[in-house]
Amino acid sequence: MILSVALLVPWATGAVLVALDGRRRAVGWLAVAVLAATFALLAVLTAQVLAGGSQEVVTGGWPPGVGIVLHADMLGVVFALLSVLVLLAATTHEVLAGIEERVFPGLVLLLAGGLTGLFLTGDVFNFYVFFELAMTASYVLTAYGGGRRQLRAAMVFTAVNLLGSFIFLLSVAGTYRVTGTLAMLDVGERMAVVDPNAALLIATGFFIAFSVKLGLFPFHFWLPTVYAGSSPAVAAILSGAVANIGAYGLLRFGPTMFPAQLRLVGAAIVVLGAVSLIYGAVLAVARGDVAESLAYSAIGQVGYVLVALGVGGPVGLTAAVVYSVVNALNKTLLFLAAGIRGPLVAGAFAVGALSVAGVPPAAGFVGKLEMFRAGIVVGSVPLIVLLTLGSGLSLVYMFQMYQRAFWRAPAPAGPASPLPLRLLTTAVALLVLAAGVWPEPLLAASGRAAEGLLPGAAG
Amino acid sequence: MSSGEPDRPDVIIRVIARMLLGPTLMVAAALVAKGYAEVGDGFGAGVAVALAIALTYVALGGARAEAALPVLRHGPKLAVGGLLLALATGFFPLLLGEPPVSHRPAPGEHVVKVGTLELFTPLVFDIGVFLLVVGVLIVLLHHLAGRDGRDGS
Repeated sequence: MILSVALLVPWATGAVLVALDGRRRAVGWLAVAVLAATFALLAVLTAQVLAGGSQEVVTGGWPPGVGIVLHADMLGVVFALLSVLVLLAATTHEVLAGIEERVFPGLVLLLAGGLTGLFLTGDVFNFYVFFELAMTASYVLTAYGGGRRQLRAAMVFTAVNLLGSFIFLLSVAGTYRVTGTLAMLDVGERMAVVDPNAALLIATGFFIAFSVKLGLFPFHFWLPTVYAGSSPAVAAILSGAVANIGAYGLLRFGPTMFPAQLRLVGAAIVVLGAVSLIYGAVLAVARGDVAESLAYSAIGQVGYVLVALGVGGPVGLTAAVVYSVVNALNKTLLFLAAGIRGPLVAGAFAVGALSVAGVPPAAGFVGKLEMFRAGIVVGSVPLIVLLTLGSGLSLVYMFQMYQRAFWRAPAPAGPASPLPLRLLTTAVALLVLAAGVWPEPLLAASGRAAEGLLPGAAG
Repeated sequence: MSSGEPDRPDVIIRVIARMLLGPTLMVAAALVAKGYAEVGDGFGAGVAVALAIALTYVALGGARAEAALPVLRHGPKLAVGGLLLALATGFFPLLLGEPPVSHRPAPGEHVVKVGTLELFTPLVFDIGVFLLVVGVLIVLLHHLAGRDGRDGS
């Protein structure tokens, strides 16, 4: 029941709000209220899933296999909660700063509807439908601001991601062709007996589609233009909410649908993640512009998620979930803070910087700790060296950025941003700190999410 | 193109565009009506109608097309109304404590028929999808025609 309502609320209000003039304050605040309500619904759903296990709704009351299955398990609700939280922060930021385009609030809600839907579906095709809903909304959002840079970013983003979506759709068709089903759990069972070459081809298709979303190393080429070109709130939405599709997709599709293929190419995935990690970090050190450095940092950070996925097992998957959550929060905080000026902002940015570098009081420390645990469990010295190197580099580029943005002559920065904006950013920073000081809920939820992914898990 | 008016499409296209709209609406209605037993649905019907409207835009230009068919000015309302109608049909069972997209009359129950048209809630859903598709495509056509710069001349 709550599962369906959580889907309906952002979707229906989003449809109404795209027709209204979003530049009016009331419309913007309505969007914020709806996002808050969706967040509350998802929080209740999370509590229910924690207490009573995963929930399932078969649409139309048809028998499973005929009707489409909505499926809420720990992994899904964690990502849904995270994405809606990021959208809530970014939208509040934009409403406080003054929305420039009429469709912004409606599109953010449609994006929230799409994301909630794709995290809470148990069906591959349904996943694609919600995925397209979310992506279409974000194509338009990328052009938000309407300047040359934004339009260029939107063109690049749309072109590359349409290609990614096409590859995804081809893989969906392939999955149906070889297994005769699109329900994720059934696909996982039947994939074990299909022709290994076909299965590997399909798995590669999904992997490429999600890597494009995430901006992993060989598929990252679009990312710096887009993140640096779009407005700060949109960059926060893209890196904190939309990129979650990629991380979630890899986690959901890999271990549940293609466990054999994942084992086969595990080492290759770790290597790819490592390349992404180093490449992103080195280029982030080399760049002068804050937004561009953050974009390269994003490429590096998702490398950690891929490394953890490649390591696999309960520890690796837990690390991947924790790192995805922490990374999304970090990026939201940093992109929002980089766009404003004044007292409190430098502090908030410093928290984000510490978190990316993995320094203790911030949430990033928990993420890094889980990564090191994964490295120690597999007993791989190169992996631990790599993680140490990555952390060192991120410390360098984050503080280069901090220095450039906040220590160098304050003159060109202009007047301080309005106080509510700065307070909002501070609140996000406090959240990042809180997740680092009291990491148990995050760790427990991620652990449960990882358990649900491993073979033999009940639902 | 006629040599006298190089900027305007041929008279044949203009006449066909005007005449085609009525039959297209009939085809769309047929697509929706037979969609439950044979090929057809609200989406296909919407695309068919949008194609006829696109031809009207090509033949008359943006301003004239919208003067001839005032409904074309209400594309956004059609789209939002259609989406809300479809969502309402999809999610109303929640109020009755049933899973989403359950339909009334339920499977196996008596359905009122008008000819081959079955009156049940999925029909409303398809009409919603039809309106959404037509509305969105009208909005796109409106913007494409508006960039032309020559319309209304």
